[in-house]
Formats: sequence, C-alpha cells, structure tokens
Amino acid sequence: MQSKWDIGEPEKPTINSQTEQLKSELLTLNMGPQHPATHGVLRLEIWTDSEIVVHAIPHLGYLHRCMEKHAENLDYRGVIPFVDRLDYLAAMNMEWTYASAVEKMLGTEVPRRAELLRILTCELNRIASHLMAFGTYALDLGAFTPFLYAFEEREKLLRLFEEVSGARLLYNYIWIGGVWNDWNDDQLQRVAAFCDVMEQEAKKYDDLVSYNKIFVERTTNVGVFSLQDCLDYGASGPVLRGSGMKWDLRKNKPYSLYSEFDFDVPVATEEVKKVGGQVGDCWSRYIVRMREVVESIKIIRQVLEKLEPGPVMGKVPKIIKLPKGEVYVRQECPRGELAFHLVSEGEKKPYRLKVKSPCFTHVSMLPRVAPGQMIADFVASVGSIDIVLGEVDR
Amino acid sequence: MNTTSHQTSSFKEYFVNLYRGISTTVIGMWITFRYVWAVKPVSIEYPEVREVLPERARMRLFNDVQNCISCTQCAMACPVDCIYIASEKRPEGEEIKKTTNGQPIRLKLTQFTIDIALCCYCGLCTVVCPTECLTHSHDYEFSQYTIDGMKYDYLAPDVIAWRDRIVKS
Repeated sequence: MQSKWDIGEPEKPTINSQTEQLKSELLTLNMGPQHPATHGVLRLEIWTDSEIVVHAIPHLGYLHRCMEKHAENLDYRGVIPFVDRLDYLAAMNMEWTYASAVEKMLGTEVPRRAELLRILTCELNRIASHLMAFGTYALDLGAFTPFLYAFEEREKLLRLFEEVSGARLLYNYIWIGGVWNDWNDDQLQRVAAFCDVMEQEAKKYDDLVSYNKIFVERTTNVGVFSLQDCLDYGASGPVLRGSGMKWDLRKNKPYSLYSEFDFDVPVATEEVKKVGGQVGDCWSRYIVRMREVVESIKIIRQVLEKLEPGPVMGKVPKIIKLPKGEVYVRQECPRGELAFHLVSEGEKKPYRLKVKSPCFTHVSMLPRVAPGQMIADFVASVGSIDIVLGEVDR
Repeated sequence: MNTTSHQTSSFKEYFVNLYRGISTTVIGMWITFRYVWAVKPVSIEYPEVREVLPERARMRLFNDVQNCISCTQCAMACPVDCIYIASEKRPEGEEIKKTTNGQPIRLKLTQFTIDIALCCYCGLCTVVCPTECLTHSHDYEFSQYTIDGMKYDYLAPDVIAWRDRIVKS
C-alpha cells in the first residue's frame, strides 16, 4: 500500500551514464548517527552508485526529548531552561523568542535597557553561533586550524556570557519581563573591545578560508538550492539569503527595537559570481554567515551607544497566568526564523507550545540537493546549512 | 557539476588557477605561521592551571540547612523536580531558631536531597529561595562511579562541612 510518507523511487543516476547499462545495485550507506559531519545525531541514509549519491533520506528523532510535551507540564518560567536546549548554540535567541511570546500575551512592558541588553546578548550569541558554523564547516572540509581560530574568539564571548548569566551555553538569562542580571561597565567595555578584535578577525577568516582556492573549489557550485526551492520548502535565514532573497525579519518585519538600528542584510549574489560560483551554492550560504557577523558588530556598537542606566526587569506577577488565547511569535535566529505557537487555556501552564524550527525545514531540503552529488560534496552540503539537531528533534 | 570543469578549462585558465591556488594557500599558511611567534597562546593547561570562575557561575547546588525554612518553593520552581524536601512539626516547647536574615524556622527539616545528576543548573531554585540558603557553589569536579553518588543529602555531616568553604558570610 502506498503510504503518504513514501517519497517514491529514487531518481536515476545521471552522471555515470556509461555504467548505466551494466547491471548494478545501489549501496545503502548510513551516515550517522555517530558521524562527525552530521553535527549531532542525525542519521542520513544515503543510496550511492559508486561514489555518487543517488538518494538521501534524513532520519530524525535521535535527540527527541519531548520538549513540547514537557512544556505543557511546566509553569511559564520553567519552560525557559527547556527552550535553551533547542538550539544550544544560540540559546539567547531561543529564550528571547519564547519570552516575547509570553510577554505578548501577558501585555508586559519591557524596560528599554532590558530590551537593548537583549539585542546585545542575542547579537553576540549570533556571532558565537556563526563562529561555530564557520569553524565546523572548515572542519568538515578538512581544514583544522580555522576551527581553533574561531573557538579562540568564541571563548571570549562564552566567558562574557558566563560572567553575566552564570552559564556558558544554557543561559536562562532572558526572562519573562526582562533580563536576569545587568551588565556592568567593565563587561560592556570588553564587548566594545571584542567588536574591534572581531572585525580584524573576520578579515583574517576571509584570507584564511573564504577566498582560499581549495575551499572555493570545494564549495562553489555544490549543493545549489534554487530560490524557488527555498520558497517552496519555506527556508529562512542564511539559506534563503544565500539563495539570493533579501529577507530578514529584523529588517522586513522589525520586532523589538530593531527598527532603530542601521544595518544591512547581506546577500551573496554579487560576491559569489566573482569567485565563479552560482547563487544558492554552499559558498554563498557560508559567506552570508561571515557577512552577518560584521553586521552584528554594527548593531552591537549602536547598542553600546544607546545604553542608558535603568531597570532591567519589568513588572511581572509572581505566578504567571496567561489569558485564554493563542499567539504566534517569530524572530530571526542565527539559523533562520524560529517561531513559537503558544496556546493558553488561562492556566498556569501552557496548553500547547509548538516550535517551528528553521533547521527542520533545512534538513528536509537535503534530499532535494543530494541526487548526483559526490559523497564528499554531500558532506559539504550538510555542513553548509548549519543544522543543530537539538532544534530539529526538539 | 564541478567534476567536469577541468575538461573545459583552457591552457591559460589552468595557469591562472594554479597561481590562485598557490597564492591563497600561501596567504593562509602565513596567517597560521605567524602564530609561531607573534600571538600569545590562549589555551590553559587545565589540571595544573585553573581559570577563576566568575561570581555568578552556576555549578553544584549547595543548601545551607541551618538557614532553610523548608518552604519548598525551590522544589516547586524546579523544572526537572530534582529537589526532595521533607519536614515535620517541631515538638511543643522546642525553641524556634531564626535564620540569619531573621525569619523564624517553624518546621524541622528532616530531609533535603538534591539529585545533582538530574539538575539542569538553570538557577530558578536559587532565585525563589526567601532566605538565600540555596546557592550555586563553584564546585565543578564531582564525577562519581555510580549515579547514586550524585544524590546529595544536605543534612549529612560531611556535606554540612562544605559550608565553611562555600558560604562566605
């Protein structure tokens, strides 16, 4: 019987046309769950014809922790540590999206300083996340040293986050109504110093990796997502921008105070043609991330100018009870648009908390690019969408 | 596909590619080579050299049982339910002690156990504590051979003895 989940017979291999007449069988190869190139516990079932991928099926669920169901049994503050564990590389962004969903239903006024500090931490977290993406992507393609350079800078950020929130990865820093702790002047000065260093470093990464001939040859014209595919699947973030669409929620649908800030939305359409690639390939997704780091630095500098002393926590009742209703809040996270659909029945707990994660969309796009690629190129494609499996499986 | 590009490239393109390959590799190698003398090492040789943790760092939980009023607010705030508290009424006539911030300890604490293996180090329990007796200490090396060893009974004398080291006031 034909199941509705059945994706049908794999497409015929196109490259090895001479060998097509020979009687051959496809080899099934399991990439993962324990594989360094899958960035977590993703299992990719690959059907290969010699070294050419014919069909790839991502199998999810190895990191499923029932986060959405757990949230239905927790009070609204207790969900935040669980939200952290969605995208553990950009936990601040996850917290902020959840907190703003609750605030929207509660009608809380967030103090201006708290809102600016949220932007500051989230942009810093975006840099940290993109540094990780940069380092591990180079690692996937066989270059080890860029990983160490990226981690040197990331370590500074993690230290700052540890000082201000108490944890290095799962912060529980952005609370409903504001932020937990205030940043002191010394820490803010270190952020300013970090911005200066990071600008230099971003140039260094360009010299070291971005325009390196080996890297360019490995990534250009590989794993091309056409814009139509991206729109059909509902891709967002660097994947959509890498395919040439200038879409960033911070710019197109400004939330919080982002309308006050001056920054660009990088798309790689011009640059990728200079290195000989085409729009939507792995290199353009990679370079969008690197350019976003520079844009984040711009935003952080403006935040540091705008910061004024004030309270960091708004008025929130001790026991949070949301009115009956539902809300859908989406924000731009390092990996794309994260959204929470929060349904409340007027109790102390959420009735339903649905997470729309960008990585899930991007993983489901992988079978689209896989046919016809070499296995090593497929590794490059998987790395370029920068997935975090905590967010895919929830 | 990229696999066929070498067949179409001309003689000139071959040398241009060769030049670009060598020059960009040399630039990259030069950046790495500078680390031999021009950049200070940043890594710490861990067991010998230790980083000082920031003030707010959230490591193993510690409960100062002398100040605990068994209000169970921490257990209710905990998202993973890893705090187990039991208390009983004081017998008639027993003197009611006070905590350091002046709250009377009406109930007698008979059990205060935290399963640290379950704890997610979120810090929500320390925020709600009215007497600030439940805190995150700076201990981070406490691996155990069995998972039962991660259950800390804060009324045990050896755990109470940590107080001198952890509580500053």
